[in-house]
Amino acid sequence: MDPFSSPSPSGGSSGQSVPSADVLMDQVKTQLAQAYAEEFFETVRSKCFTKCITKPGTSLSGSESSCITRCVERYIEATGIISRALFSAHR
Amino acid sequence: MDSSPELQRFLQEEKQKAMIAEMVGKLTSECWDKCITSTPGSKFSSSESTCLANCAQRYLDMTMLIQKKFQSMQQ
Repeated sequence: MDPFSSPSPSGGSSGQSVPSADVLMDQVKTQLAQAYAEEFFETVRSKCFTKCITKPGTSLSGSESSCITRCVERYIEATGIISRALFSAHR
Repeated sequence: MDSSPELQRFLQEEKQKAMIAEMVGKLTSECWDKCITSTPGSKFSSSESTCLANCAQRYLDMTMLIQKKFQSMQQ
């Protein structure tokens, strides 16, 4: 279902109703947040696959699993380090 | 559709935020590749975290250098 459509009001010739600005802004924010989260997930997945799964076996080993856990934590930490370095450089 | 100034301002703001998020994402990806060369540990070594911070700042320096070069080439 198209999130931007709403049922048209009865009566009135064009029958088109537009969501309020607040509703639109909320929808945009939600969709943006979702898009960011999906992209971040994809990036972390790719990076940690590269770092941790060097010789794919018939199942994930214990060391591969712990590597992936650490990798996710480190990548999130790296994102913070980069953000702070970028924005404290502007002072 | 009526584009109120409030909506315009909101869209501008979100556009800015998206540009910043993209830059942080791209830089983190590249600096991770440059700086985290071994298997991730339970914390960063000080050389790894220093490398990451340096990487971001050198990227900014490089950006300014390229801008200056482009400007001088236009004259």
